[in-house]
Amino acid sequence: MAELVVRPDERFIQEVLANGGADLKKCYQCATCSTVCALSEEDRTFPRRQMLLAQWGLKDLVLSDPALWLCHSCGDCTEQCPRGARPGDVLGALRQQAIQYFAWPKFVARWVNNARAVWTLFLLPVLLFAGLGLWGPETVSEQMEFANEYPVPVLEALFFSVSGLAVLAFAVGLGRFVKALRVQGATAPILPNLVPAIGEIFAHRRFQKCQAEPFRYPGHLLAFWGFLGLGFVGTVIGIGTMGGWLHTPLPLSHPLKVLANLSAAVALVGASILLANRLRNQQLRQRTTYFDWLLVWLLAGAVLTGLLSELLRLAQLKVMYGVYFIHLVLVFALLAYAPYSKLAHAVYRTVALAATRRGTRGGP
Amino acid sequence: MPETRLPIAVIGGGMAGMTAALEAAEAGAQVVLIEREPALGGRVAQLARYFPKLCPPSCGLEINFRRIKQNPRIRILTRARVEDITAQPGGYRLTVLVEPRYVNQACTACGKCVEVCPAEVPDPWNYGLSKRRAVYLPYPAAFPFQFVIDRSACLSGCRACQDACPYGAIELTEQPKQEVIEAAAVIVATGWSPYDASRLTHLGFGRFPDVITNAMMERLAAPDGPTGGRIVRPSDGKEPRSVVFVQCAGSRDENHLPYCSSVCCAASLKQATYVREQCPDAEVTIFYIDIRTPGRLEDFYQQVLNGDRIRLIKGKVAKVERSAETGRLVAVAEDALSGRKLTVEADLIVLATGIVPNSQDLPPVLARDPFGFLAIPPSEKGIYVAGCVRRPEEVAATVQDATGAALRAYQCLVRSLAHA
Repeated sequence: MAELVVRPDERFIQEVLANGGADLKKCYQCATCSTVCALSEEDRTFPRRQMLLAQWGLKDLVLSDPALWLCHSCGDCTEQCPRGARPGDVLGALRQQAIQYFAWPKFVARWVNNARAVWTLFLLPVLLFAGLGLWGPETVSEQMEFANEYPVPVLEALFFSVSGLAVLAFAVGLGRFVKALRVQGATAPILPNLVPAIGEIFAHRRFQKCQAEPFRYPGHLLAFWGFLGLGFVGTVIGIGTMGGWLHTPLPLSHPLKVLANLSAAVALVGASILLANRLRNQQLRQRTTYFDWLLVWLLAGAVLTGLLSELLRLAQLKVMYGVYFIHLVLVFALLAYAPYSKLAHAVYRTVALAATRRGTRGGP
Repeated sequence: MPETRLPIAVIGGGMAGMTAALEAAEAGAQVVLIEREPALGGRVAQLARYFPKLCPPSCGLEINFRRIKQNPRIRILTRARVEDITAQPGGYRLTVLVEPRYVNQACTACGKCVEVCPAEVPDPWNYGLSKRRAVYLPYPAAFPFQFVIDRSACLSGCRACQDACPYGAIELTEQPKQEVIEAAAVIVATGWSPYDASRLTHLGFGRFPDVITNAMMERLAAPDGPTGGRIVRPSDGKEPRSVVFVQCAGSRDENHLPYCSSVCCAASLKQATYVREQCPDAEVTIFYIDIRTPGRLEDFYQQVLNGDRIRLIKGKVAKVERSAETGRLVAVAEDALSGRKLTVEADLIVLATGIVPNSQDLPPVLARDPFGFLAIPPSEKGIYVAGCVRRPEEVAATVQDATGAALRAYQCLVRSLAHA
């Protein structure tokens, strides 16, 4: 610490203040937050330290702090903060900054997180799918099927390429992230620790320790498993259809279809709980930013339009094509922008949990 | 001065009120001193020692009591509450309700009544650390030196004290009286109360008997206190081996008292010296956000720190629990300087609870700030505020404050004479 030269990044401070961390400057470093936090660890405390680093504008230092990702936004600290500095919200705002900080390419991250440019985000998928629907190859069958307008091979090729790009972007971002983590002393080997870390995430063991918001644990757990199920089914069906051993639409009794519908229902319930929680808490609602809303609406919209187009297809109503179009646009946005949106927290958190795993940390 | 002039009314008979009354009376004014409790002295009488000199408050109190006794211009009303204040030409009209004492001037404080009294209640004088009877002497050096009966504590129909009193000093049927006082000026000095620690359950108060407030610590250390001045654990009367002070227990906290109570840092440093003196081997830890010892108190802070075995840790205690392994109390905090979470085992945990102004029972006509401190606009020429009901302050500042208020009130007197 003796060698620390403080060069405040004023723009960074302004960005944190403007994006969910509006109460940052109220903090007077009493450390109540770190003490009441059930997740804060003995020698890796948060959020007091991160509040200070953010106040000082030490961008590089605070954004590469793995503790940002150990925080699960319980809100216990915010509830007990004697100054109303809302440390839980500030750490959320810092995570948003971190996602943009490590993102590659950076200009995409800036674009995705620019509220004024929100409509342009959908321009590409709208043009793509509108073109495909209007001018793409059309097949006619007895039943109305989505494949008539949106041929499966084209869709799969498109989605796998988009996912591939997202994976590439994540890979670059994670490369930077891990390098930064190592500098910060999070030196546990990542690959061997991924399994226990993921196990912990599957069980939402850390979420269970939250006290202030009793609904967040079940809400996030359901949403997590729902979307994980949907992602799994989508990938398997995608590979299956491309391999030629699966043909959509699958009958309702097909195990994959059952899993898909079940996952969608679970995701919907979970997302509703989280949304209700956010709307119910007035102060939390006020601090909810574009970054939060974008993910909430993309996820909710994708599930709702997915279920709706399935129902309309079963009812054989022609409007099903229109709803499916919206569904495709939303899913495209979800995948394409994942490395730059709040969805990226799933990836960064997993790696941070692995890198900070107890008992395996090397070095001093 | 002509004898027809109106008195100055002083509300509150603690250090501020007594000082204001004495300064005004010794300058020649008539004074009515209105005290809510059965004896004068206020919070200062409950202290073991003053900071920074570490001397007991008893000598200062005794001097004040003697000055009051010798001064014919001071009239004292105890157990009296001001219900209303209205302005009138040349001053104010105070409506005062005087609760009965049930013990008259014939009382010699012989104590026969206490011997026979069957009713026992927790003693608020010692913040519940001991019990007292329904009939009691407010405190050993009380002025007026006269017993009083807490009728709410009496067993129904009991008149044992009346039968036992050899002087006929007990009047169980005495009724409250209303009195109207016309005054040229009013000085409000109703003082403060410690913040209600029962709201600090996360710091263990009310859950663990060995979590006490700084006010209780003063009683433990006071020679006339429940332990005769010995600092012990309330749970078992043993000497503590480790004492933790929790600063800002409720103060500087939007969820409790948003303001700094200003004296608790120096008070805890002072109390740390009590522990160091009585239990030389005990560990003393003070958890703080900032040590606020302005002005000359900075020297006191350094002086206490220079003695060993006092550990200061920057970080507010946010949790007090009982350790599952050792059964001892633990205070949990983050050491903000090292960034590590700490749990410190303690036998006695002292919460530095803050200052709450005693303004709740005052007439609503007296303007308050958002925190309840009196904030009389300067345009009100005739009502002055002194001591902790104006702002949180130490005793020395209170005395200066009260002297200033006395001068202001005296000016009103002079003005009213000029008009007469």
